[in-house]
Amino acid sequence: MGIRWIAALVAFIVVILIGIVSIGNFDTGIDPDNFFDTEGANSFALIGAIALVVGFVVYAGVEYAQTGGLGSIARQFDTRTIVLMPIAVAINIILGATVANALKIPIYLDSIGTILVGVLAGPVAGALTGFLSNILWTYVIPPPFQNGPAAAFAVVAVIIGVLAGLAGRAGWMRPRPNRSIGQLGIGAVITVGVIVAMSWLAYLGWTSPAFGGEVNFDVAGSDAIFNVLGWLVLVLVAGTIIGLLALLFVRRDLTAAYVVVAGLGTGIIAALISAPISANVFSGVTGGGTDFLVAALRQAGADIGAATLGQGLISDPIDKITTFFVVYLILAGMAARTKARFPQGDRLLEEGGAADLEEGEWRGASA
Amino acid sequence: MTLTLAGVGYRYAGASRPSLLDVDLELPDGAVVGLVGPSEAGKTTVCLVASGLAPRTVSGQIRGRVLLDGEDVDAWPMHRLSARIGIGFENPSTQLSQVAGTVFEEVAFGPMNLGAARDEVVERTWEALTNMRIDDLAERDPGRLSGGQQQLVAMAGLLAMRPAHLVLDEPTAQLDPAGTRLVGEAIARLAAGGASILVAEQKTDLLAEVADRVVVIADGRILFSGPADETLADPRLVEAGVAEPAPVRLRRAAEAAGLDPARLEVPLDA
Amino acid sequence: MAGRVRLTDPQPARGLPDFLGRPGPTPVHRLNPLTKATLATVTAVAAVALGGLVGPILLVAVAVLVPAALARVLGRLLRLALLLALPIAISAFLVNLFFFPGAERVLLRIGPITATAEGLEFALQILVRILAISGAVTLFYLTTRPADLVVDLERRGISPRAAFVANASVQTVPAMVDRAAQITAAQRARGLDTEGSLWRRIRGIIPIVGPVILGSIAEVEERTMALEARGFTRPGRRTLLWAPADAGLERLARWAMVAALLALIVARVAGIWT
Repeated sequence: MGIRWIAALVAFIVVILIGIVSIGNFDTGIDPDNFFDTEGANSFALIGAIALVVGFVVYAGVEYAQTGGLGSIARQFDTRTIVLMPIAVAINIILGATVANALKIPIYLDSIGTILVGVLAGPVAGALTGFLSNILWTYVIPPPFQNGPAAAFAVVAVIIGVLAGLAGRAGWMRPRPNRSIGQLGIGAVITVGVIVAMSWLAYLGWTSPAFGGEVNFDVAGSDAIFNVLGWLVLVLVAGTIIGLLALLFVRRDLTAAYVVVAGLGTGIIAALISAPISANVFSGVTGGGTDFLVAALRQAGADIGAATLGQGLISDPIDKITTFFVVYLILAGMAARTKARFPQGDRLLEEGGAADLEEGEWRGASA
Repeated sequence: MTLTLAGVGYRYAGASRPSLLDVDLELPDGAVVGLVGPSEAGKTTVCLVASGLAPRTVSGQIRGRVLLDGEDVDAWPMHRLSARIGIGFENPSTQLSQVAGTVFEEVAFGPMNLGAARDEVVERTWEALTNMRIDDLAERDPGRLSGGQQQLVAMAGLLAMRPAHLVLDEPTAQLDPAGTRLVGEAIARLAAGGASILVAEQKTDLLAEVADRVVVIADGRILFSGPADETLADPRLVEAGVAEPAPVRLRRAAEAAGLDPARLEVPLDA
Repeated sequence: MAGRVRLTDPQPARGLPDFLGRPGPTPVHRLNPLTKATLATVTAVAAVALGGLVGPILLVAVAVLVPAALARVLGRLLRLALLLALPIAISAFLVNLFFFPGAERVLLRIGPITATAEGLEFALQILVRILAISGAVTLFYLTTRPADLVVDLERRGISPRAAFVANASVQTVPAMVDRAAQITAAQRARGLDTEGSLWRRIRGIIPIVGPVILGSIAEVEERTMALEARGFTRPGRRTLLWAPADAGLERLARWAMVAALLALIVARVAGIWT
């Protein structure tokens, strides 16, 4: 079964290489009359998307050749997942809209639902949740929640869903309480190290020199619901840092380190793919708090491509670490029985056995 | 078409002990069977097993057999069973599909899923709406109805699939008195028309009205069962933790006070 | 069928109710939803691909304003599209005006930051592009019911489960917002402080998050059972009550739009058009 993944990965890399070779270098100089820069990083997003589709097709093709069906994909879409997806989409849109419209801080918080579905159900389910969230967000959701640029970033949401699904499948989100000091020590180094680095970058971002270094806590917008939800977001970010440290040192749960690594990795990849889209379609500005950051970087002399990439590499990891942490909390709040019924649910439970059953002809699934 | 549970035991996935042990239950054509018991007795589990949701949707392990007219349905997929046995739940709003803008589309949801021809879907939908007396609600948004109305819509949605049996798990538990009356009357109408219904209820008054037989369950086992009026008047009922119907309570109070219940001008059999 | 729950009351035959699939008020509304979706997407992408000022402005006039006028939604469209574009527009304008690197012709100097002519040109181009995208998307939103598009896609072959997710998502967003608002109001009545000190606000948020998110997730089990009890797991297509009409002419138009867009992109990438 690993053959499918290897084949898909090979196809993915091959397409990317072909794309890079045929397009040229990645100089992101912007010509005012022609900002559809054919030699620029904008092509990378296109190449990435094509490579993803090709990889997926190869995966499906190999599975079909092996088994005559597409079971591993279809299995991710049982009724329970289908019921969860609209809820996940709604969470994405509502929280994301709140951050973009009401709170001018450089994070997004529009992927909690995507990552939740990815972890519980699988990569393809997560990918589709992300895709649908972004498309609906632009075309179908009414104001005040509507978000114009979202659809352009649908491919980013797809990738986030895939990465979350893979993290879930690898068992990264499984609780690991009461670990030994040695293991916790390594985990602590990773976690604290990443948190410190991210916090410092966040501080840089929030006190962007171009706007006088004021940290803005006022939540804009007259809608009371935005006010409330806006504060929720601030609480989430602050709570994440405290919570991760608490997990690690109080509950001695090693998964805190996994959460941080998953968030960091997903954040970096998301930044790499969304930067070219943001730079070339929207000149780096999408109406949220991240715009200040882009402005600051441009003031410092960076061109649009570098500025959006810089902004992304600051905002995305923070955003994704927070998101993975929130998803971990949500999972902790769900009963084991409930989680177990999802396609990847068994990878989210603590290691341990089910109770013994008396003899007799019991039929069916035991856990 | 009789629905039979024979020696059924059930353990939910991940649970430490079984929720049902050795349950025998029969729901013949045209009969209304009431299922009573205290909370956590296993009433819901019986309903889930009878409808097939356990162990298919709600994972777990089953022992014993579930039979439709003598045929073991163990290998039947859920959608095939859903066309024979309809199950309603206590929460009216979570039964809504959330994809229907009108009550008509909501009720049509089941037959549409079953792939019936379009004209037949339309006909069945109108039939179900009329029988639940909600055809005037056909254009309304189901999300904006009262709890009782939503419960009627849910039942109409089940009837539109033309099941052989209906299983209702505490249909009035989350309704206000008006809703309870609405749903109670609907169930009574169905019963009078010869429907075959298994109703799990804590409100024994409703069962006193419509049930032919009553089964008492506690701790996952059947305690006793019998014809409705006998079983509901049985003193063991209260011991098992179930509130007896009002007329029975009245009669007992009268006897305890030394009055002759036969001389009270109150109908004691609802 | 023997053993069916027998229902009383025979009744006269009634057809599909007329409130289903009601056609829209104008010819634009009555266009097939896929056509309108194609128009919106092609317009948005073309606005990016065209570049410059004249191209996108013409595009907006032809592909957004004219159909909006025909659909009698021009006023609403302008209001909503501007509302949608406003946050981005302001940011984009300011950022590009003041922070355009490598610019020579200075227009204005405010302390450490300068507005430049090149920046102004670029900012205007971005502005027009953003307005084009907002307009295209808003036009679609104003003339199409999402459920109609989903039904049309399902008729064309997407899986009923995908259609379910799309439809349910559209209904769940307002439902969840309502729920959050209700819970906020209830908690306020119980003394929840949403103003006041930072700490008090933080303490007040928690009783809202729990019910909304965890409550929705807790409902998943019940909803799953209810759906499966109504035949949801049956494989294959399901019956559709109605579907939007489609005309050969519209199909042609859709293909033409996509072809034109592809030609434009190729021309751009190959450097033919600037």
